[in-house]
Amino acid sequence: MAKIKKIVVDRNLCIGAASCVLTADTVFELDAENKAIIKLKGGVKSAEPAEKGTLEDEAVSDDTLLTAAQSCPTRAIFLYDEDGKQVYP
Amino acid sequence: MEKIKYLIIGGGVAGTTAAETIRQQDPTGSCAIVSDEPYRLYSRIMLSKPNFFLEKIPFDQIWLKSADWYTQNNIMLIAGKRATALDTKAKTVTLDDGASIAYDKLLIAAGSCVRKWDIKGADKQNIFYLRALDDAKQIIAKVKTTKRAIVVGGGFVGFEMCDMLRLAGIDVTLVIREPHFWDPLLDELSGKRIEAALERGGVKILCNSLVTEAVGGDAVQGAILHNDSVLPADMIVVGIGTYCPLDWTAGSGITTNRGIITDEYLTTNASDVWAAGDGAEFNDVILGEQIQLGNWANAQMQGRIAARNMCGAHEQFRLVSFYVTGGFGITIAFAGDIRPAEGREIVARNAADGNSLSRIILKNGKIIGATMINNTKELAVITKLIEKGAPMEHNRDKLSDPLFDLKTLL
Repeated sequence: MAKIKKIVVDRNLCIGAASCVLTADTVFELDAENKAIIKLKGGVKSAEPAEKGTLEDEAVSDDTLLTAAQSCPTRAIFLYDEDGKQVYP
Repeated sequence: MEKIKYLIIGGGVAGTTAAETIRQQDPTGSCAIVSDEPYRLYSRIMLSKPNFFLEKIPFDQIWLKSADWYTQNNIMLIAGKRATALDTKAKTVTLDDGASIAYDKLLIAAGSCVRKWDIKGADKQNIFYLRALDDAKQIIAKVKTTKRAIVVGGGFVGFEMCDMLRLAGIDVTLVIREPHFWDPLLDELSGKRIEAALERGGVKILCNSLVTEAVGGDAVQGAILHNDSVLPADMIVVGIGTYCPLDWTAGSGITTNRGIITDEYLTTNASDVWAAGDGAEFNDVILGEQIQLGNWANAQMQGRIAARNMCGAHEQFRLVSFYVTGGFGITIAFAGDIRPAEGREIVARNAADGNSLSRIILKNGKIIGATMINNTKELAVITKLIEKGAPMEHNRDKLSDPLFDLKTLL
Protein backbone atom coordinates (compact mmCIF):
# COMPACT_ATOMS: atom_id res chain seq x y z
CA MET A 1 0.00 0.00 0.00
CA ALA A 2 1.13 3.53 -0.73
CA LYS A 3 2.20 5.61 2.24
CA ILE A 4 -0.59 7.57 3.87
CA LYS A 5 -0.12 11.32 3.77
CA LYS A 6 -3.51 12.86 4.50
CA ILE A 7 -6.51 11.92 6.67
CA VAL A 8 -9.99 13.35 6.18
CA VAL A 9 -13.11 12.77 8.27
CA ASP A 10 -16.36 13.58 6.49
CA ARG A 11 -18.50 15.09 9.25
CA ASN A 12 -21.70 14.56 7.31
CA LEU A 13 -21.04 10.85 7.15
CA CYS A 14 -19.62 10.44 10.65
CA ILE A 15 -22.19 9.02 13.03
CA GLY A 16 -19.93 8.88 16.07
CA ALA A 17 -19.82 5.11 16.25
CA ALA A 18 -16.33 5.47 17.77
CA SER A 19 -14.77 2.56 15.87
CA CYS A 20 -11.88 4.79 14.82
CA VAL A 21 -11.38 6.00 18.39
CA LEU A 22 -11.14 2.44 19.67
CA THR A 23 -8.76 1.44 16.86
CA ALA A 24 -6.52 4.52 16.95
CA ASP A 25 -7.19 6.57 20.06
CA THR A 26 -3.95 8.51 19.64
CA VAL A 27 -5.36 9.93 16.39
CA PHE A 28 -9.12 10.21 16.75
CA GLU A 29 -11.56 11.28 19.40
CA LEU A 30 -15.22 12.29 19.44
CA ASP A 31 -16.15 15.92 19.94
CA ALA A 32 -19.18 17.35 21.74
CA GLU A 33 -21.32 16.74 18.63
CA ASN A 34 -20.29 13.09 18.69
CA LYS A 35 -18.24 13.45 15.51
CA ALA A 36 -14.70 12.20 15.03
CA ILE A 37 -11.96 14.81 15.15
CA ILE A 38 -8.23 14.46 14.62
CA LYS A 39 -5.66 15.06 17.36
CA LEU A 40 -2.85 17.32 16.17
CA LYS A 41 0.42 18.41 17.73
CA GLY A 42 0.19 20.85 20.60
CA GLY A 43 -3.10 19.43 21.84
CA VAL A 44 -5.05 20.91 18.92
CA LYS A 45 -8.22 19.02 17.90
CA SER A 46 -9.24 19.48 14.29
CA ALA A 47 -12.23 18.67 12.13
CA GLU A 48 -10.23 19.65 9.04
CA PRO A 49 -8.18 17.37 6.77
CA ALA A 50 -4.87 16.61 8.45
CA GLU A 51 -1.46 15.69 7.10
CA LYS A 52 0.12 12.77 8.87
CA GLY A 53 3.15 14.86 9.85
CA THR A 54 0.95 17.23 11.84
CA LEU A 55 -0.59 14.50 14.00
CA GLU A 56 0.10 14.42 17.70
CA ASP A 57 1.01 10.79 17.08
CA GLU A 58 2.83 11.23 13.80
CA ALA A 59 4.50 7.85 14.29
CA VAL A 60 1.15 6.02 14.04
CA SER A 61 1.45 3.19 11.55
CA ASP A 62 -0.33 3.26 8.22
CA ASP A 63 -1.73 -0.10 9.14
CA THR A 64 -3.45 1.34 12.21
CA LEU A 65 -4.87 4.23 10.19
CA LEU A 66 -6.16 1.85 7.55
CA THR A 67 -7.70 -0.45 10.16
CA ALA A 68 -9.40 2.56 11.75
CA ALA A 69 -10.80 3.68 8.40
CA GLN A 70 -11.94 0.16 7.54
CA SER A 71 -13.69 -0.19 10.88
CA CYS A 72 -15.87 2.84 10.22
CA PRO A 73 -19.43 1.65 9.61
CA THR A 74 -20.22 4.60 7.37
CA ARG A 75 -16.87 4.86 5.58
CA ALA A 76 -16.46 8.44 6.77
CA ILE A 77 -12.65 8.31 6.97
CA PHE A 78 -10.74 9.00 3.76
CA LEU A 79 -7.03 8.31 3.42
CA TYR A 80 -4.79 9.77 0.73
CA ASP A 81 -1.23 8.95 -0.30
CA GLU A 82 1.69 11.24 -1.10
CA ASP A 83 0.45 11.72 -4.66
CA GLY A 84 -2.96 12.81 -3.42
CA LYS A 85 -4.49 9.53 -4.54
CA GLN A 86 -7.31 8.14 -2.41
CA VAL A 87 -6.10 4.98 -0.65
CA TYR A 88 -9.35 4.25 1.19
CA PRO A 89 -12.24 3.70 0.75
CA MET B 1 -24.80 -30.68 -5.67
CA GLU B 2 -22.51 -27.71 -5.65
CA LYS B 3 -19.64 -27.85 -3.18
CA ILE B 4 -18.21 -24.70 -1.67
CA LYS B 5 -15.01 -24.65 0.33
CA TYR B 6 -16.07 -21.74 2.53
CA LEU B 7 -19.81 -21.31 2.91
CA ILE B 8 -21.08 -18.31 4.86
CA ILE B 9 -24.68 -17.95 6.00
CA GLY B 10 -25.37 -14.24 6.42
CA GLY B 11 -24.38 -11.28 4.24
CA GLY B 12 -24.06 -8.64 6.94
CA VAL B 13 -20.86 -7.20 8.30
CA ALA B 14 -19.80 -10.41 10.07
CA GLY B 15 -20.30 -12.63 7.02
CA THR B 16 -18.88 -10.18 4.50
CA THR B 17 -15.84 -9.35 6.62
CA ALA B 18 -15.28 -13.08 6.93
CA ALA B 19 -15.41 -13.54 3.14
CA GLU B 20 -12.97 -10.67 2.67
CA THR B 21 -10.61 -12.13 5.26
CA ILE B 22 -10.84 -15.62 3.74
CA ARG B 23 -9.82 -14.16 0.38
CA GLN B 24 -6.73 -12.62 1.93
CA GLN B 25 -5.77 -16.02 3.38
CA ASP B 26 -6.85 -18.25 0.53
CA PRO B 27 -6.98 -16.50 -2.87
CA THR B 28 -8.52 -19.41 -4.74
CA GLY B 29 -10.74 -21.55 -2.48
CA SER B 30 -14.39 -21.23 -3.46
CA CYS B 31 -16.37 -18.93 -1.17
CA ALA B 32 -20.09 -18.16 -1.11
CA ILE B 33 -22.31 -15.94 1.01
CA VAL B 34 -25.99 -16.75 1.42
CA SER B 35 -28.01 -13.68 2.40
CA ASP B 36 -31.74 -13.58 3.04
CA GLU B 37 -31.80 -9.96 1.90
CA PRO B 38 -31.69 -9.11 -1.81
CA TYR B 39 -28.76 -6.73 -1.29
CA ARG B 40 -25.02 -6.60 -1.09
CA LEU B 41 -23.38 -5.43 2.14
CA TYR B 42 -24.78 -2.21 3.48
CA SER B 43 -24.28 -0.25 6.67
CA ARG B 44 -26.93 -1.58 9.02
CA ILE B 45 -25.71 0.83 11.67
CA MET B 46 -26.63 3.73 9.39
CA LEU B 47 -30.22 2.56 9.14
CA SER B 48 -31.26 4.22 12.36
CA LYS B 49 -29.31 7.44 11.86
CA PRO B 50 -31.28 10.64 11.23
CA ASN B 51 -28.97 11.91 8.47
CA PHE B 52 -29.69 8.80 6.46
CA PHE B 53 -33.44 8.85 7.07
CA LEU B 54 -33.82 12.49 6.30
CA GLU B 55 -31.78 11.99 3.11
CA LYS B 56 -29.15 14.49 4.19
CA ILE B 57 -26.57 12.05 2.93
CA PRO B 58 -26.98 10.32 -0.42
CA PHE B 59 -28.83 7.03 -0.18
CA ASP B 60 -26.01 5.23 -1.98
CA GLN B 61 -23.70 5.89 0.95
CA ILE B 62 -25.44 2.94 2.57
CA TRP B 63 -23.52 0.49 0.34
CA LEU B 64 -20.26 -0.70 1.85
CA LYS B 65 -19.28 -2.92 -1.06
CA SER B 66 -19.70 -2.27 -4.75
CA ALA B 67 -21.57 -4.79 -6.87
CA ASP B 68 -18.25 -5.55 -8.59
CA TRP B 69 -16.45 -6.28 -5.35
CA TYR B 70 -17.98 -9.75 -5.10
CA THR B 71 -17.07 -10.80 -8.62
CA GLN B 72 -13.61 -9.21 -8.45
CA ASN B 73 -12.89 -11.21 -5.31
CA ASN B 74 -14.48 -14.36 -6.64
CA ILE B 75 -17.02 -14.40 -3.82
CA MET B 76 -20.39 -15.80 -4.82
CA LEU B 77 -23.29 -13.81 -3.36
CA ILE B 78 -26.45 -15.89 -3.16
CA ALA B 79 -28.84 -13.06 -2.28
CA GLY B 80 -32.50 -13.26 -1.33
CA LYS B 81 -32.20 -16.86 -0.14
CA ARG B 82 -32.63 -18.22 3.34
CA ALA B 83 -31.03 -21.28 4.88
CA THR B 84 -33.72 -23.69 6.05
CA ALA B 85 -31.81 -26.77 7.16
CA LEU B 86 -28.33 -27.82 8.20
CA ASP B 87 -26.82 -31.28 8.17
CA THR B 88 -23.46 -31.21 9.92
CA LYS B 89 -22.73 -34.88 9.17
CA ALA B 90 -23.32 -34.70 5.42
CA LYS B 91 -21.97 -31.09 5.60
CA THR B 92 -24.81 -29.54 3.62
CA VAL B 93 -27.05 -26.50 3.95
CA THR B 94 -30.50 -26.45 2.35
CA LEU B 95 -31.95 -23.17 1.09
CA ASP B 96 -35.56 -22.04 0.89
CA ASP B 97 -35.64 -22.65 -2.87
CA GLY B 98 -34.87 -26.31 -2.21
CA ALA B 99 -31.25 -26.15 -3.36
CA SER B 100 -28.60 -27.80 -1.25
CA ILE B 101 -25.01 -26.64 -0.98
CA ALA B 102 -22.20 -28.82 0.35
CA TYR B 103 -19.44 -27.15 2.33
CA ASP B 104 -15.96 -27.89 3.62
CA LYS B 105 -16.17 -25.14 6.23
CA LEU B 106 -19.26 -23.29 7.34
CA LEU B 107 -19.67 -19.94 9.06
CA ILE B 108 -23.04 -19.09 10.57
CA ALA B 109 -23.32 -15.32 10.67
CA ALA B 110 -27.06 -15.06 10.20
CA GLY B 111 -27.64 -12.20 12.62
CA SER B 112 -30.82 -11.53 14.50
CA CYS B 113 -34.44 -10.64 13.73
CA VAL B 114 -36.67 -8.08 15.37
CA ARG B 115 -39.15 -9.23 17.93
CA LYS B 116 -42.61 -8.45 16.59
CA TRP B 117 -45.71 -7.27 18.36
CA ASP B 118 -48.32 -9.89 19.06
CA ILE B 119 -51.04 -7.42 20.09
CA LYS B 120 -54.36 -6.94 18.33
CA GLY B 121 -53.99 -4.78 15.22
CA ALA B 122 -50.24 -5.39 14.95
CA ASP B 123 -50.61 -6.26 11.26
CA LYS B 124 -51.91 -2.82 10.24
CA GLN B 125 -50.03 -0.75 7.70
CA ASN B 126 -47.56 1.88 8.88
CA ILE B 127 -46.41 -0.13 11.86
CA PHE B 128 -42.68 -0.48 11.33
CA TYR B 129 -39.73 -2.36 12.73
CA LEU B 130 -36.20 -1.34 11.97
CA ARG B 131 -33.79 -4.08 11.08
CA ALA B 132 -33.20 -4.29 7.37
CA LEU B 133 -32.84 -1.90 4.47
CA ASP B 134 -36.37 -2.61 3.24
CA ASP B 135 -37.73 -1.57 6.65
CA ALA B 136 -35.79 1.67 6.42
CA LYS B 137 -37.03 2.39 2.89
CA GLN B 138 -40.63 2.10 4.06
CA ILE B 139 -40.02 4.38 7.05
CA ILE B 140 -38.24 6.97 4.87
CA ALA B 141 -41.26 7.07 2.58
CA LYS B 142 -43.80 7.29 5.38
CA VAL B 143 -41.99 10.00 7.37
CA LYS B 144 -42.72 12.45 4.56
CA THR B 145 -46.48 12.42 5.19
CA THR B 146 -46.56 11.74 8.93
CA LYS B 147 -47.69 14.30 11.48
CA ARG B 148 -47.89 12.16 14.60
CA ALA B 149 -45.81 9.12 15.45
CA ILE B 150 -45.48 6.68 18.31
CA VAL B 151 -42.17 5.03 19.15
CA VAL B 152 -42.37 1.92 21.30
CA GLY B 153 -39.39 0.75 23.32
CA GLY B 154 -36.56 2.43 25.19
CA GLY B 155 -33.21 1.49 23.72
CA PHE B 156 -30.86 2.59 20.97
CA VAL B 157 -33.45 2.15 18.23
CA GLY B 158 -36.09 4.02 20.22
CA PHE B 159 -33.71 6.87 20.99
CA GLU B 160 -32.48 7.21 17.42
CA MET B 161 -35.96 6.94 15.92
CA CYS B 162 -37.22 9.69 18.24
CA ASP B 163 -34.33 11.88 17.10
CA MET B 164 -35.04 11.26 13.42
CA LEU B 165 -38.80 11.83 13.76
CA ARG B 166 -38.35 15.07 15.73
CA LEU B 167 -35.83 16.36 13.18
CA ALA B 168 -38.48 15.63 10.56
CA GLY B 169 -40.87 17.88 12.47
CA ILE B 170 -43.17 15.07 13.60
CA ASP B 171 -44.99 14.96 16.96
CA VAL B 172 -43.54 11.99 18.82
CA THR B 173 -44.75 10.02 21.81
CA LEU B 174 -42.37 7.43 23.22
CA VAL B 175 -44.04 4.54 25.01
CA ILE B 176 -41.85 2.45 27.31
CA ARG B 177 -42.82 -0.43 29.51
CA GLU B 178 -40.13 0.19 32.11
CA PRO B 179 -40.16 2.84 34.86
CA HIS B 180 -37.37 4.77 33.12
CA PHE B 181 -35.43 4.81 29.88
CA TRP B 182 -33.18 1.77 29.42
CA ASP B 183 -34.10 0.14 32.70
CA PRO B 184 -32.49 -2.12 33.88
CA LEU B 185 -29.28 -1.48 31.91
CA LEU B 186 -29.20 2.10 33.19
CA ASP B 187 -30.03 3.31 36.66
CA GLU B 188 -32.76 5.83 37.28
CA LEU B 189 -30.41 8.83 37.34
CA SER B 190 -28.93 8.04 33.91
CA GLY B 191 -32.28 6.97 32.47
CA LYS B 192 -34.02 10.12 33.62
CA ARG B 193 -31.16 12.16 32.22
CA ILE B 194 -31.82 10.71 28.78
CA GLU B 195 -35.53 11.29 29.22
CA ALA B 196 -34.87 14.93 30.08
CA ALA B 197 -32.92 15.33 26.83
CA LEU B 198 -35.71 13.67 24.85
CA GLU B 199 -38.31 15.89 26.48
CA ARG B 200 -36.28 19.03 25.82
CA GLY B 201 -36.25 17.88 22.22
CA GLY B 202 -40.04 17.74 22.20
CA VAL B 203 -40.66 14.02 22.74
CA LYS B 204 -43.56 13.11 25.02
CA ILE B 205 -42.59 10.11 27.15
CA LEU B 206 -44.95 7.61 28.75
CA CYS B 207 -43.12 5.31 31.18
CA ASN B 208 -44.67 2.21 32.79
CA SER B 209 -46.88 2.03 29.72
CA LEU B 210 -47.93 -0.69 27.34
CA VAL B 211 -49.68 -0.54 24.01
CA THR B 212 -52.46 -3.12 24.12
CA GLU B 213 -53.96 -2.60 20.67
CA ALA B 214 -53.19 -0.85 17.41
CA VAL B 215 -56.32 0.71 15.95
CA GLY B 216 -57.42 2.11 12.59
CA GLY B 217 -58.59 0.82 9.24
CA ASP B 218 -56.08 -0.93 6.98
CA ALA B 219 -53.59 1.65 8.13
CA VAL B 220 -52.87 2.38 11.74
CA GLN B 221 -54.51 5.49 13.20
CA GLY B 222 -53.46 5.13 16.78
CA ALA B 223 -52.77 2.96 19.77
CA ILE B 224 -54.73 2.00 22.83
CA LEU B 225 -52.68 1.93 26.01
CA HIS B 226 -52.97 -0.28 29.10
CA ASN B 227 -55.05 2.39 30.84
CA ASP B 228 -57.48 2.54 27.89
CA SER B 229 -56.24 5.95 26.80
CA VAL B 230 -55.92 6.39 23.04
CA LEU B 231 -52.92 7.90 21.29
CA PRO B 232 -53.54 8.99 17.71
CA ALA B 233 -50.71 8.32 15.24
CA ASP B 234 -50.04 8.03 11.50
CA MET B 235 -47.16 5.66 12.09
CA ILE B 236 -45.69 3.52 14.85
CA VAL B 237 -42.08 2.37 15.10
CA VAL B 238 -41.64 -0.64 17.36
CA GLY B 239 -38.23 -1.41 18.86
CA ILE B 240 -38.78 -4.07 21.48
CA GLY B 241 -35.76 -6.25 21.00
CA THR B 242 -34.32 -8.95 18.80
CA TYR B 243 -33.94 -12.70 18.72
CA CYS B 244 -31.83 -15.13 16.74
CA PRO B 245 -33.70 -17.44 14.40
CA LEU B 246 -32.21 -20.85 15.12
CA ASP B 247 -34.99 -23.18 14.03
CA TRP B 248 -33.15 -23.98 10.79
CA THR B 249 -30.32 -25.52 12.80
CA ALA B 250 -32.68 -27.90 14.61
CA GLY B 251 -31.57 -31.50 14.35
CA SER B 252 -28.08 -30.50 13.23
CA GLY B 253 -26.58 -31.29 16.60
CA ILE B 254 -25.26 -27.75 17.00
CA THR B 255 -25.57 -26.55 20.57
CA THR B 256 -27.67 -23.44 20.92
CA ASN B 257 -29.04 -21.33 23.71
CA ARG B 258 -30.28 -17.85 22.80
CA GLY B 259 -27.60 -17.94 20.14
CA ILE B 260 -25.21 -20.51 18.72
CA ILE B 261 -22.76 -21.58 21.38
CA THR B 262 -19.09 -21.20 20.49
CA ASP B 263 -15.79 -21.27 22.30
CA GLU B 264 -13.31 -18.41 22.31
CA TYR B 265 -12.17 -19.39 18.82
CA LEU B 266 -15.76 -19.01 17.58
CA THR B 267 -15.95 -22.71 16.79
CA THR B 268 -19.19 -24.52 17.47
CA ASN B 269 -19.44 -28.06 18.80
CA ALA B 270 -19.90 -29.34 15.22
CA SER B 271 -16.74 -29.96 13.27
CA ASP B 272 -15.91 -27.36 10.61
CA VAL B 273 -18.69 -25.02 11.75
CA TRP B 274 -18.02 -21.57 13.18
CA ALA B 275 -20.37 -18.78 14.26
CA ALA B 276 -19.92 -15.00 14.35
CA GLY B 277 -21.89 -11.82 14.90
CA ASP B 278 -25.19 -11.20 16.67
CA GLY B 279 -26.09 -14.89 16.54
CA ALA B 280 -22.95 -16.17 18.27
CA GLU B 281 -23.07 -16.81 21.99
CA PHE B 282 -19.35 -16.99 22.54
CA ASN B 283 -16.89 -17.51 25.35
CA ASP B 284 -15.62 -14.03 26.09
CA VAL B 285 -12.10 -14.44 27.42
CA ILE B 286 -11.98 -10.91 28.79
CA LEU B 287 -15.18 -11.27 30.80
CA GLY B 288 -14.78 -14.98 31.47
CA GLU B 289 -18.41 -15.52 30.50
CA GLN B 290 -20.52 -16.92 27.70
CA ILE B 291 -22.07 -13.82 26.13
CA GLN B 292 -24.04 -12.73 23.08
CA LEU B 293 -23.76 -9.19 21.71
CA GLY B 294 -25.52 -7.30 18.97
CA ASN B 295 -23.31 -4.53 17.71
CA TRP B 296 -21.25 -3.58 14.69
CA ALA B 297 -17.78 -3.74 16.20
CA ASN B 298 -18.38 -7.17 17.65
CA ALA B 299 -19.80 -8.55 14.39
CA GLN B 300 -17.00 -7.13 12.24
CA MET B 301 -14.21 -8.39 14.46
CA GLN B 302 -15.79 -11.81 14.94
CA GLY B 303 -16.17 -12.20 11.18
CA ARG B 304 -12.45 -11.51 10.83
CA ILE B 305 -11.31 -13.91 13.57
CA ALA B 306 -13.70 -16.71 12.58
CA ALA B 307 -12.45 -16.47 8.99
CA ARG B 308 -8.81 -16.69 10.02
CA ASN B 309 -9.61 -19.75 12.09
CA MET B 310 -11.52 -21.28 9.18
CA CYS B 311 -8.31 -20.88 7.19
CA GLY B 312 -6.26 -22.75 9.75
CA ALA B 313 -5.32 -20.18 12.39
CA HIS B 314 -6.02 -20.69 16.07
CA GLU B 315 -6.79 -17.18 17.28
CA GLN B 316 -8.86 -16.23 20.26
CA PHE B 317 -11.53 -13.61 19.83
CA ARG B 318 -10.72 -10.72 22.15
CA LEU B 319 -12.66 -7.48 21.97
CA VAL B 320 -14.18 -5.11 24.44
CA SER B 321 -17.43 -4.37 22.71
CA PHE B 322 -18.89 -0.88 22.55
CA TYR B 323 -21.71 1.16 21.10
CA VAL B 324 -22.06 4.92 20.92
CA THR B 325 -24.93 7.09 19.83
CA GLY B 326 -25.81 10.74 19.96
CA GLY B 327 -28.88 12.91 19.64
CA PHE B 328 -30.91 15.54 21.47
CA GLY B 329 -27.65 17.20 22.49
CA ILE B 330 -26.28 14.23 24.41
CA THR B 331 -24.08 11.23 23.73
CA ILE B 332 -24.62 7.76 25.12
CA ALA B 333 -21.86 5.15 25.15
CA PHE B 334 -21.82 1.59 26.42
CA ALA B 335 -18.64 -0.46 26.74
CA GLY B 336 -18.07 -4.06 27.73
CA ASP B 337 -20.65 -5.95 29.75
CA ILE B 338 -23.25 -3.67 31.26
CA ARG B 339 -25.87 -6.27 32.14
CA PRO B 340 -27.08 -6.06 35.68
CA ALA B 341 -26.34 -9.27 37.53
CA GLU B 342 -25.53 -10.50 40.98
CA GLY B 343 -22.08 -9.82 42.27
CA ARG B 344 -21.59 -6.67 40.23
CA GLU B 345 -20.70 -3.40 41.81
CA ILE B 346 -21.36 -0.06 40.19
CA VAL B 347 -19.14 2.94 40.79
CA ALA B 348 -20.68 6.28 39.82
CA ARG B 349 -18.36 8.70 38.07
CA ASN B 350 -20.37 11.87 37.66
CA ALA B 351 -19.11 15.33 36.81
CA ALA B 352 -19.61 17.90 39.55
CA ASP B 353 -21.69 20.07 37.21
CA GLY B 354 -23.91 17.09 36.44
CA ASN B 355 -23.16 17.25 32.71
CA SER B 356 -21.65 13.81 32.37
CA LEU B 357 -22.87 10.68 34.13
CA SER B 358 -20.84 7.49 34.01
CA ARG B 359 -21.22 4.17 35.73
CA ILE B 360 -18.25 1.85 35.93
CA ILE B 361 -19.23 -1.77 36.49
CA LEU B 362 -16.97 -4.04 38.51
CA LYS B 363 -17.03 -7.80 38.90
CA ASN B 364 -14.60 -9.53 41.25
CA GLY B 365 -12.85 -6.21 41.65
CA LYS B 366 -12.20 -5.76 37.91
CA ILE B 367 -13.85 -3.36 35.49
CA ILE B 368 -16.06 -5.27 33.07
CA GLY B 369 -18.21 -2.51 31.61
CA ALA B 370 -19.32 1.09 31.70
CA THR B 371 -22.21 3.30 30.69
CA MET B 372 -21.39 6.88 29.81
CA ILE B 373 -23.61 9.85 29.14
CA ASN B 374 -21.72 12.82 27.69
CA ASN B 375 -18.43 11.14 28.43
CA THR B 376 -17.26 9.47 25.21
CA LYS B 377 -13.85 11.05 25.79
CA GLU B 378 -13.23 8.33 28.37
CA LEU B 379 -14.55 5.49 26.21
CA ALA B 380 -11.12 4.52 24.87
CA VAL B 381 -9.39 4.48 28.25
CA ILE B 382 -12.22 2.58 29.91
CA THR B 383 -12.22 -0.11 27.22
CA LYS B 384 -8.47 -0.44 27.73
CA LEU B 385 -8.99 -0.84 31.48
CA ILE B 386 -11.58 -3.55 30.82
CA GLU B 387 -9.21 -5.31 28.43
CA LYS B 388 -6.36 -5.07 30.91
CA GLY B 389 -8.44 -6.56 33.71
CA ALA B 390 -6.32 -5.07 36.48
CA PRO B 391 -7.67 -5.26 40.04
CA MET B 392 -9.47 -2.10 41.06
CA GLU B 393 -10.36 -2.89 44.68
CA HIS B 394 -8.13 -0.11 45.94
CA ASN B 395 -9.00 2.36 43.20
CA ARG B 396 -12.71 2.83 43.75
CA ASP B 397 -12.22 6.40 45.00
CA LYS B 398 -10.19 7.17 41.88
CA LEU B 399 -12.81 5.68 39.60
CA SER B 400 -15.48 7.80 41.24
CA ASP B 401 -13.45 11.02 40.97
CA PRO B 402 -14.29 12.60 37.59
CA LEU B 403 -11.15 14.72 37.78
CA PHE B 404 -8.88 11.71 38.23
CA ASP B 405 -7.09 10.79 34.98
CA LEU B 406 -8.00 7.16 34.33
CA LYS B 407 -5.06 6.79 31.94
CA THR B 408 -2.75 6.63 34.94
CA LEU B 409 -4.38 3.32 35.90
CA LEU B 410 -3.32 1.70 32.62
